[in-house]
Amino acid sequence: MSTTPSILLVGLGGAGCGMVSRIAPHLPPVVRVSLIDTDASILNTTEGQEAFQIGRPLTRGMGTAGELAVGQAAVEADEPALRRLFTGYSLVVLVTGLGGGMGSGGAAPLASIALDAGATVLSFATIPFSHEGERRKRQATEALEKLAVKSHGLVVVENDLLALQVAADASLSAAFSAADEWIAGSLRALASVFTPGALVPVDPAALKTILEKPGSPTLFSYGVGEGSGAALIAAKAACDSSLAHGPGAITKVGSLFVQVTGGLNMSATDAFEAVSIIRKKFGGEKTTLLGACIKPELGDRVEVAVLGASLPVPKPATKTKKGAKGTDPNQPVFVFATEESIRRGIFSNTPLIFRDGADIDVPTYIRKSVRLTSAS
Amino acid sequence: MNKKNLPSFITVIDIGTHKTTALTAQVIDGRARMLGFSERRTDGVVKGTVIDVEKLHASVHEVVNDLERVSQRAVDHVYISISGPSVEGERVKGICIVPAHDGRITKLDYQQAIDSAKRLEPPAGRITLLHMRQPSILDNKPVGNPVGQQGRRLEVSFWRITMEEGNVRFRVSMANGMSINVRDFILASHAAACAVTTDTEKQGGVCVIDIGAGTTDWVLYFKGHILCSGSIAVGGEHITNDLSIALRISRETAEDLKLRFASGLHRDQDVNQTIWKDGDKSVGDQQFNRGTITQVSSLRYQEILSFVRKDILVQLEQMFSGHEVKLDQNFLPAGVILTGGSANLADAAEAAQNVFGVTARVGIPKFDNSSLQKSEYAGVVGMMIAALEDAPPVVRRQKGFMDILRDLFRF
Repeated sequence: MSTTPSILLVGLGGAGCGMVSRIAPHLPPVVRVSLIDTDASILNTTEGQEAFQIGRPLTRGMGTAGELAVGQAAVEADEPALRRLFTGYSLVVLVTGLGGGMGSGGAAPLASIALDAGATVLSFATIPFSHEGERRKRQATEALEKLAVKSHGLVVVENDLLALQVAADASLSAAFSAADEWIAGSLRALASVFTPGALVPVDPAALKTILEKPGSPTLFSYGVGEGSGAALIAAKAACDSSLAHGPGAITKVGSLFVQVTGGLNMSATDAFEAVSIIRKKFGGEKTTLLGACIKPELGDRVEVAVLGASLPVPKPATKTKKGAKGTDPNQPVFVFATEESIRRGIFSNTPLIFRDGADIDVPTYIRKSVRLTSAS
Repeated sequence: MNKKNLPSFITVIDIGTHKTTALTAQVIDGRARMLGFSERRTDGVVKGTVIDVEKLHASVHEVVNDLERVSQRAVDHVYISISGPSVEGERVKGICIVPAHDGRITKLDYQQAIDSAKRLEPPAGRITLLHMRQPSILDNKPVGNPVGQQGRRLEVSFWRITMEEGNVRFRVSMANGMSINVRDFILASHAAACAVTTDTEKQGGVCVIDIGAGTTDWVLYFKGHILCSGSIAVGGEHITNDLSIALRISRETAEDLKLRFASGLHRDQDVNQTIWKDGDKSVGDQQFNRGTITQVSSLRYQEILSFVRKDILVQLEQMFSGHEVKLDQNFLPAGVILTGGSANLADAAEAAQNVFGVTARVGIPKFDNSSLQKSEYAGVVGMMIAALEDAPPVVRRQKGFMDILRDLFRF
């Protein structure tokens, strides 16, 4: 079986590298892993993976100290080398933690290099916890907008929501491993597209039809089920996952890719039933790609990963004259549902009221990171 | 030979975030008899702040029209409630060093102290609307009426209510636009308190919290006077919003579920209880876990109450700097009384009891008309009660020629 890597998984910055190096051991061989940072100490701790230190003259091997400009300059300085790194991959998955200097400053330039190299770019970005302060939050939000334009798909993982997903008394590492699991799951699903021998194979080239254009609003979700009716449980979990309801996410898409992976007991009927649940929830009228894959080691577990995107919504025709200010082709064509509107709901257009540094229009349970009893 | 007082009429309008209510009453022998009542959804107000003047104007106009229709009387004077974040309270003091040799305080001294307190300018851009009396202090001891007492230093203080100039002007011009004069403004939380507390309770110490849709207004009484008051731009709509975000449902569904299932306390028995959205087995009905609803709502509700508690402590700290003041049963013998639409939440009083650590109850306004005996009407009923105290002396009809004759001949 050929194991030429066709997916490149890139971890950028401290948080991105940490996450990627945690999930790297669980990935199939078609995924090549690469870590990028300025901080030599971070790269040294992640043993056994390909590390790529950038911006050495700028930081002398230290971190970016939260400076956006340094992160950006570091990526730009090493552009030729990075371009070589990305060449030859049909899919580049970029994982980064926004809020700091490397992630927020470097993500968008890095994604644009990968775009230029001809790869389809799927980005995963985490948003800092609310209690990490206003500055990091603002940097993250700004970076998110830039990154969105440069990626075919952008999945936002909000740390606040992350904390809500796990049990109230769970450790912090458990909260993070939930995010790891989501990203690893999606990567496994994507990887199986590139692995021959699937029950229902998907043409790798068809993935391009899902993530058609940079800047598309993206839907991504992941669910796991076990026991009898595992496929259905997994599909329901994917429907309810907070990933699918995070900022920037959309709930109805034109094109949908559903990958169902299960043990030997899973039948094609199960897989199709799962897909019909997913379709009912998320749409996919234009195209639905179904991939199904059997992995004996999963036992009676079933994983369902959903990836979808709508075409960028064209901006309403404005009366701007051609060539006038504001017709920059790179400007974002889709206004992402902002993090704010998701968290403040009906109050999103009202003046902010702060108490003890927290925006009190945001639901109390989110601010206090209280895990809710299951909503179903 | 007691001549019957001629009636006068009082109209009060309470503009809230969720609804506007108005009440007209006839005053007979110092008691208000309800003539008409109208209520309507308020448009254009979010979190107690006016965002759409035209819409608000239209809804208030309709309320007044309805009121005039049901009471069959043109409204010419109104009392308007003030609440929300643009209202601020502050303590102002006036001091008089008693000039008399024997230290006896005259009426003039007292008036002088009052004047000097009221003379204090409000902050720029704000207008002083009300001066609520606080106990006078004579040589560091609180006294009732200081006139005639002996001392050296008389301190008179007021709880001064100020409001942003634009907001005041807007309210007045809105009334004037309907050819109605604004007789006075009434602090909404004070009004609610008038409806649900007794004088004894105010004398001992009580805190009234009016939790409306968009704002939470509170007022604290001590020794029969307003000690402090405040407002926070959080209310029942936040519970609705939290539910709609947590359950991913529309605002309308969230509002419906809130009214039916939300609670001030999260109990273990709710956790595994499943409830239906409609419950009529119709297509599209949804199932929810009751525990999620009570959890989300109780977290928000208790947080609102804890905000109030914190604000009260901050105010008290400023007032009695140096002395430690505890919000306990000794300080608030009558405890906490909740009013407003969001006081109808299940276990609201228990939640307040948990947060404040004193007895708590939901206040039901004392009023003849049973349809208004609900906590959400405490505001409008209380305004009527407050307006009665403030009502101008009863206008007697000018004596005509026949009256003089009648008096002369006693027939």
